[in-house]
Amino acid sequence: MSAGRGGAAQGGGGEGEIDLTPMLDVVFIMLIFFIVTSSFVKEPGIDISKANAVTTNACDRGTIIFAVTATGDIYYDKKEVPLGRAFRLAEAAKKEAPKANFVIQADVDAPTSVLSELLAAIKPLMDAPLCASTNEEG
Amino acid sequence: MRKTRRNADADEAEIDLTPMLDVVFIMLIFFIVVASFLKEAGIEVNRPESNENPPETDATSISVTITGDDQIWMENRRIDIRAVRANIARLLASDPEQSFSVKTESGATAGTLLEVGDAAREAGVKQVNWPAEEKK
Repeated sequence: MSAGRGGAAQGGGGEGEIDLTPMLDVVFIMLIFFIVTSSFVKEPGIDISKANAVTTNACDRGTIIFAVTATGDIYYDKKEVPLGRAFRLAEAAKKEAPKANFVIQADVDAPTSVLSELLAAIKPLMDAPLCASTNEEG
Repeated sequence: MRKTRRNADADEAEIDLTPMLDVVFIMLIFFIVVASFLKEAGIEVNRPESNENPPETDATSISVTITGDDQIWMENRRIDIRAVRANIARLLASDPEQSFSVKTESGATAGTLLEVGDAAREAGVKQVNWPAEEKK
């Protein structure tokens, strides 16, 4: 700090050196914040019409997201996956982020039979109730 | 820069921070871009363990059935989706600690299931249980 100030004094008016230390502090703090908060959510990447609900609340750490379309197809990470692979994908995601909870985005016309089977498949991995994604107040 | 270094002698060597700053900024931008502040919202649906499934004759539980054609049945009569909340609230009034479960038959849609779950939560049930569908 004092060395920097000394350097600036010696440089006269020729080349004004700016003390970068405070900016570096801020940048590092921002960097650490973004590293810590980044959760690398794999979105299903498919447009579904969610059911409306008035009791909607935030899904706590719901970052493993499966989507079930109106035709009963399961989507994860922008790809359609068969039911048999859903468990392995869920297991891998849970291993990567042990604190993450599961979210299912179900289309209003999605058959509950598919939903039920998917839930049965990932049930052993869940340590919180499933969060069924809904629209807020519609 | 060179002038400063010569002036400072070996007294206190100044490190050029520019390359590190470049790297740090690139990392910062990467993490900002990757961070998706995605907040998923929904309702919680619990899948009870099959062995702790309450028996059918349990008097202290509220049960709603959604048939394969999306009809909602409660207490052996068909009710409208708008009447679900009132009916559950009426049953809850006698014992607020009652458990609630919604049963579906294959062919029902998720929309109806979530609407029933939502109505039940609005009526004040603690947890929406959704046992596995029975295989025919």
